[in-house]
Amino acid sequence: MAAAAVSSMPAAGASGAKVLLRAENAVKHFPAGLGATVHAVDGVSFEIREGETLGLVGESGCGKSTLARLVTQLLPVTSGKIFFGDVELTKLRGEKLRQYRRQLQMIFQDPFASLDPRMTVGDIIAEPLDNFGVMRGRKRNARVQELLSIVGLNPNFNNRYPHEFSGGQRQRIGIARALALNPRLVVCDEAISALDVSIQAQIVNLLEDLQREFKLTYLFIAHDLSVVRHISDRVMVMYLGKIVEIADSVETYASPKHPYTKALLSAIPVPDPRVQRGRRLVELTGEIPSPIHPPSGCRFHTRCPIARLPTPCAETEPPLEEKRRDHLAACHFSSDV
Amino acid sequence: MPTPILQVRDLRTQFAADGGVVKAVDGVSFELYPGESLGIVGESGSGKSMTALSILRLVPDPGRIVSGQVLFRDQDLLQLTGEEIREIRGRDIAMIFQDPQSSLNPVLRTGFQVDEAMLAHGRPKRDARSRTLELLKKVRIPAAESRYKDFPHQLSGGMRQRAMIAMGLANAPAILIADEPTTALDVTVQAQILELLGDLNRELGTAIVMITHNMGVVAGLCSRVLVMYAGEIVEQGPVEQIFENPQHPYTWSLLRSIPRVDALRHERLRSIEGIAPDLLQPPSGCRFHPRCPFRIEKCFHDEPRLQDVAMGQQAACWVMMKRAREEMGADKLIDIRPGAASGVHPGEIA
Repeated sequence: MAAAAVSSMPAAGASGAKVLLRAENAVKHFPAGLGATVHAVDGVSFEIREGETLGLVGESGCGKSTLARLVTQLLPVTSGKIFFGDVELTKLRGEKLRQYRRQLQMIFQDPFASLDPRMTVGDIIAEPLDNFGVMRGRKRNARVQELLSIVGLNPNFNNRYPHEFSGGQRQRIGIARALALNPRLVVCDEAISALDVSIQAQIVNLLEDLQREFKLTYLFIAHDLSVVRHISDRVMVMYLGKIVEIADSVETYASPKHPYTKALLSAIPVPDPRVQRGRRLVELTGEIPSPIHPPSGCRFHTRCPIARLPTPCAETEPPLEEKRRDHLAACHFSSDV
Repeated sequence: MPTPILQVRDLRTQFAADGGVVKAVDGVSFELYPGESLGIVGESGSGKSMTALSILRLVPDPGRIVSGQVLFRDQDLLQLTGEEIREIRGRDIAMIFQDPQSSLNPVLRTGFQVDEAMLAHGRPKRDARSRTLELLKKVRIPAAESRYKDFPHQLSGGMRQRAMIAMGLANAPAILIADEPTTALDVTVQAQILELLGDLNRELGTAIVMITHNMGVVAGLCSRVLVMYAGEIVEQGPVEQIFENPQHPYTWSLLRSIPRVDALRHERLRSIEGIAPDLLQPPSGCRFHPRCPFRIEKCFHDEPRLQDVAMGQQAACWVMMKRAREEMGADKLIDIRPGAASGVHPGEIA
C-alpha cells in the first residue's frame, strides 16, 4: 500500500516512547466580526505518543474540538506547527496532505448526523477505500464485511441503511469507516457522548480492543472526565484555548497540579452515595470568560480559588512546565493545589 | 411511615405509531413522600420522562394516558378538568426541563417571566416583583436586580437554569419535578445546580423528583430511587441499598458499566450487551431477558412483578442478584452475553 511511502520514523519523546504527533505552539483564531477575534486555540504544544490514548477534557468552548480539527488538519492553523512523525503537516497542501489524511482518521459525536442516510452501510464504510482508490470489486466488499465484523456487527448488514440501526450500532459503523484505511491515529471527538450509558461501555470496550489489535493511537476528546480517565493513559486538560495540565491519568486524579483540574474532578459525581456525599465541591466563582477577550496573565485567574492577585496571576502567564516527572501544569502555585 | 404526598398507581401512557402502540409507560406505581428527593433513572426510551410528564398531564401528542391514577392531596389529577390541572401546575407541582434555552421566552425579560409564574396564580403584581428578586437571590444569581432586566440570551446556560428553578419555586410548590435539568450543562455548572437543588430541598422542604440517566447525580442528591427499563419500574428502594446491593440484573449491570472518576485502577467496563427493546414489540416475559446474563427459562414467558427484597427495596426479577451471585458466580463474571451465566440459551448478539 502507498501508506508505507509516507510513514516515517517518529522522534523519541520525553518518556522514551516514540512521538506520533506533535503540536508546537499551535494557534487557531476565528474572526468574530467587527474586528474581534475568537482565541479558540491559543498556543498549545503537546505530543501524542505512539500506541497511547491521550485524553483531552475541558468544558464547552475551551477549544478541544477546534484542536481536534487542527490535529487532523481539517482546519488550517493560524500559526504554529503540527508534526506527524518528522513531517510537518502544516506545511503540506493538496494531494500530499491528502495522502497523510488516511493515517489520521476521526470518529464523530453524533452517529445520526455523521452518516449519510442515503448511502448503504457498505458504501459508507467503503468510502475511504473508494476515495483513495485502494480496493475495488470483490476485494472491496470483502474488506467491508471484515470491518463490519471487526466492530461487532453482522457482516451481512452491508446493504442496509443507517436508519435501520440504533445509536450504538451507528457509532460502530462510524468506527468501521475510520478503520478502513488502517490509520495510525484516530481522533475520537466526543465519540460516546451521545450514547446511552450501557451502550457507552460497549463502545469504550470496543475502542480498547481495537487499539490492542491494530496498535492504534487515540486522541480521545470528551467532556466527561470519568470516561476520559478510564480510557486514557495520559490526560490533557484545556481551559479557554490553553492547555493547563498534562499528566498520567492516575496522577491527574491522585495529585492534580492545576486548580482547574482539581475543580473539574470534584464536580463529577461518583456513582456511590457513601463516597459522593463525603466529597467536597471546589466551587468556581463566576462564569467562563469570553474567548474574544481572554483574561490577562493566567486565564483561569478570574475563577481560581488560589489565585494571588494582581501579582503574579493576573499579570504573568504561567508556562506549561514539568512539575514532576512527566507531569506538566501551567500554574504559578501548583504546589498549593 | 408518613402519608405520601403523591401516589401514582398503575400509570399507562401510550403512543399510537405506524404498526401499533408504543407503551411508553406501562403500569408504573410509586409514592412520593413530603420533602423527599426521589430519583427516576433509566436510559433513553425507558419511560422516565413520560412518567414525569404524565403526572402533570403534559404528554405530547399523539401520546395518551390510557389508565391509572395520580393522587395528589386526595384528588386524582387524571380526572381534573383542563382548568383545574392548570391551577395545580406551577402552583403545587412545578417542573423544570433539560434545556433552559427553549423553556424561556426569548423576547421577555427574565425577571418578568418569573413574575408571570406568580401572576398566573393570582398574586398581585407589586408582590410578584419583590418575590422574584428574592427568588433570584435564593437560586444564587449574582446581581439579581440587573439580571431581572436581562433577556434570556444575556444569561449563561447555568444562569438560565437557575432562573428556571426560581420560576419553579415561585409559588412554593410542594413538588418540583426536574427532568434532566443538568444534562445540557458543563460539569462544574451541573455540580452547582445539584448543590442548589439539594439545599432547596432541605431548606424549603420541597419534594424533588429528579429524572436523570446519571447514576452519579442520583448518588449525590436522592434518598430513594426508581430504576426504569422499557416502560416499567424494575427496581426501587433507598439509594444506599440500591447502589450497594442491587437485586435486579439491569441495575447491577448498569452500575458496573459506568467508569468512576475516583477509580485508581483500570478495570474493564462490564457493558450490557444488545440494545434497548423496541417498545412497539416489547419482549415477552421479562423485558430485560434478551440482554440478561442470568436469565432462566421462566424469564422468557412469565413477567416478574415487583417484590420485596429488603426493607423498602423491591425488584422485579425471577432470579435476583442474590442467587445470581451465589449460584452463577456473578461477581467473577467475564462473559456477559445473554444467558452466559445461567447457561440458558447463551445467545449471539445481533
